Amino acid sequence: MTTLTDRYVETTLRRLPPRQRPDIERELRASIEDAVEARVAGGEDQSVAETAVLTELGDPARLAAGYADRPLYLIGPALFVDYTRLLTVLLSSVVPIVAVIAAVVRVVDGAPFGTVLGSAISAALTTAVHIVGWTTAVFAVLERTGARWSPDEGRPWTPDALPAPASRRTRRSELIIESVATVALAAVILWSPSLKLKLDGSGEPIPVLDPWLWDTGVVYALVALVLASLFLTFARYHAGWRPVLGVAGGLAQAAPAALLVWLAAQEHFLNPAFIAATGWPEQATRWITPALIITGAVGILSALFETIRHARRG
Amino acid sequence: MLACLLVLHRPNYGYALLEVLQQHGFTVDANTLYPLLRRLEKQGLLTSDWNTDESRPRKFYRTSAEGAALADTLSDDWNSLHTAFRSLRGAS
Repeated sequence: MTTLTDRYVETTLRRLPPRQRPDIERELRASIEDAVEARVAGGEDQSVAETAVLTELGDPARLAAGYADRPLYLIGPALFVDYTRLLTVLLSSVVPIVAVIAAVVRVVDGAPFGTVLGSAISAALTTAVHIVGWTTAVFAVLERTGARWSPDEGRPWTPDALPAPASRRTRRSELIIESVATVALAAVILWSPSLKLKLDGSGEPIPVLDPWLWDTGVVYALVALVLASLFLTFARYHAGWRPVLGVAGGLAQAAPAALLVWLAAQEHFLNPAFIAATGWPEQATRWITPALIITGAVGILSALFETIRHARRG
Repeated sequence: MLACLLVLHRPNYGYALLEVLQQHGFTVDANTLYPLLRRLEKQGLLTSDWNTDESRPRKFYRTSAEGAALADTLSDDWNSLHTAFRSLRGAS
């Protein structure tokens, strides 16, 4: 007959690595029998004593975790701060971007407002669930494999380890370069229809960019997004890093890149007539669209990493 | 943990150790003590032997040289902490 003790010991052992089992089983059984014996000697009934001893030992899962030296938490104090910080940055940057992209795609399809809103919300929820799930899984594995997130682990902490604020001068020069580049980019885009790179039969310039951009007004949206991103860079420079401003800045940097990806995917960025006029071989022109998409994707990723980097610096 | 290292200068087994500790006023649960003994053994602070002379085989633990050294350090720490508290109470 299987006794309560047998069932208890078996339940405990099932949660332990096989090579530890025989030794722990012998010791655990002896300990339980000792304890039961002591209670019986004190005048208790055998079965009452057994129940009392096992109750005192508590949940076998807990006991087994103690034996196996296994943590009873998913993410411990050593990793918790990094975990929450990374999750905050990922959720506050990726989720809105995905929601906006999903909404834009629906708007372009000409979907009604309700569908647009629904797609944006469902895309945001799916992304959030994925981000939380995978981040948690990765950190739980790190916790159990004993890997440490910070490469500084094991070195004593000194105040030198505090992140150095980027000197105002370097940040200033970055700002100037970005301003000049942004304004130049916006200017080139707006003036591109009159650039005389290639002329048609009647001597008129062939626009580099798709005239569709002007017909629909999308080009002004693109320029507005680029300028908005510059404006937010200035705001970040003067106000310092704030979570809201940081995330908004990251979004503003990612938005023109996302628009570029979409335009390239729709074959609405470069003017087909211009490409034809250049006389490039067909193999080369076939790569233009993927190249533009990759450029846009790199832009989105760099905006994301920039945001994470600033957030980590605090 | 320090109490275990001190008590186990004389070899003893799980249940008896639990009783000794409780007699001296340490409230420790069996489900904490048994895994702790194994952890200390794994860290080399305790050594163990199976004693099969009696009717019931028991695993006897004993403080190792390393464990004894650690116990001395911890005792010193404890004493200095105790002294610090006493002087604090005397000063107020």
